[in-house]
Amino acid sequence: MLLDYDRLGWLRAALVGFTAAVAAFLLLPVVFIVLLSFGSSRWLAFPPPGWTLKWYEQLFADSTWIDAALTSARIAAMAAVLAVVIGLFASFALVRGEFRGRQLLRGLLLTPMVLPVVVFAIAIYAFFLRIGLAGTTIGFVIAHTILALPFAIIPITAALEGFDKSIEDAAIVCGASPLQARLRITLPSIRIGIFSAAIFSFLASWDEVVVAIFMASPTLQTLPVKIWGSLRADLSPVVAAASSLLVGLTLCLMIVTALLRRKLSR
Amino acid sequence: MQGNSSRRGSVASLAAGSGSALPALLLVGLFFIVPVVALLLRSVTDPEPGLQNYAALFGSGTYVRVFLNTFLVAAVVTAVTILVAFPVAWMLAIMPPAFGSVVFGIIILSMWTNLLTRTYAWMVLLQRTGVINRTLMGLGIIQEPLPLINNLTGVTIGMVYIMLPFMILPLVGTLRAIDPMTLRAAALCGASPFQAFRRILLPLSLPGIAAGGLMVFVMSLGYFVTPALLGGTSNMMLAEMIAQTVRSLLNWGLGSAAAFVLLVITMALYALQLRLVGARRTGGGA
Repeated sequence: MLLDYDRLGWLRAALVGFTAAVAAFLLLPVVFIVLLSFGSSRWLAFPPPGWTLKWYEQLFADSTWIDAALTSARIAAMAAVLAVVIGLFASFALVRGEFRGRQLLRGLLLTPMVLPVVVFAIAIYAFFLRIGLAGTTIGFVIAHTILALPFAIIPITAALEGFDKSIEDAAIVCGASPLQARLRITLPSIRIGIFSAAIFSFLASWDEVVVAIFMASPTLQTLPVKIWGSLRADLSPVVAAASSLLVGLTLCLMIVTALLRRKLSR
Repeated sequence: MQGNSSRRGSVASLAAGSGSALPALLLVGLFFIVPVVALLLRSVTDPEPGLQNYAALFGSGTYVRVFLNTFLVAAVVTAVTILVAFPVAWMLAIMPPAFGSVVFGIIILSMWTNLLTRTYAWMVLLQRTGVINRTLMGLGIIQEPLPLINNLTGVTIGMVYIMLPFMILPLVGTLRAIDPMTLRAAALCGASPFQAFRRILLPLSLPGIAAGGLMVFVMSLGYFVTPALLGGTSNMMLAEMIAQTVRSLLNWGLGSAAAFVLLVITMALYALQLRLVGARRTGGGA
């Protein structure tokens, strides 16, 4: 009866309790950081002696934070677009192609997800130092596109595998050109996959720290690099304010994703 | 499967089919394969040709300790993650959706929240004067603050926190795929709940546990951010050592050699994990 929720008996109470505890554990840091960002204690005392918005004021008064956020958004948007477009083309080959070494190619394109980031970080850093792309936006975008590519390919290939190709063939039989058929039949059918790919590749770049630490220059730093630098210096509550905004962004992204998925799958 | 007409076109479709992968292949080839291979070559050519970097790496007590510590942390994190994740995945697999979706939502929220944000929260929570120490002292459970950060405890808490979703989510799939009738049959045949768990539920979910555990282990081996912020200097992990060797010491030869070792271990374990998952898939299909 171990897989029957209604007949677990006393075990159920224990397991539900444990699950609730783990959920609380997962939620704890997120809630904690948001509460702390409104606390008035410079030394992050908890519960805070009073409530304040001054850390947010300091955050928005400091242009380096704003610049870092804008840089992150710009790089992540470019990397996501590139990863989705390149990943979309690659997915057609991986799902529909009948060439030798298709599995090998798939493995190769997904390797950046498996290889420890630090190895890729020092490799691409050394390479970019040599060809003069270190510390440039282009260099950042290229490196992040590579890291984002697996996150684009996985949902798109999954969507494409679930799409019945004969529908596309039917469109061609009815007079559509192959390109028309792909654009007007296939792409709309796999839009949930493409949408997930866009979100995941954006997040892959937006949250990326390790490559960014190596690639960053004094004039070009992303938000994670800025946070990293602050964390190494001290545990200022300004970081809590920045972090809370990131939590807010995550929540928005989750809600938008849920709503869009519901709408798209209708 | 293929008719004659489409077979005739297969040469064209072969070219077209592989062609659309060309941009991806170029990108990954030029900016991933070339740099990584160049790095590995550097480990045997910098500062001069030879294996001196590897000799230095394996000959020094400091670096060997880093290796051992990396494996220790990854093993502890994996073990704790499995123990915590299994009951949660079990419940999520059979829970009524209303309750389950709340837990799923929390898991996704924690997973999608910025990595540095989560690590920062743990730094604040675990520090000497942090909430956890204060609460425990306030309750009179401890007299002195516990050393929770800059040591193995801190790294383990922070890493388990990050790895849990990666273990729970696939495990839910494994557990949902198990036919509840097998357990009902066990109960009808007189098995106690403990026997049913040990002889049926656990063995049937073992492939999922092994695959997820291996993934967590591999990810932990190469993790940089959390160990660097929550760990101490005395128990540095491999990724941090590589970054430091290259960034601060500018010793590219040694750093590359260490990176190569990490790469080989990771890829070997990844191949093993692919075989496990592959075996499970074929097993399920048969």
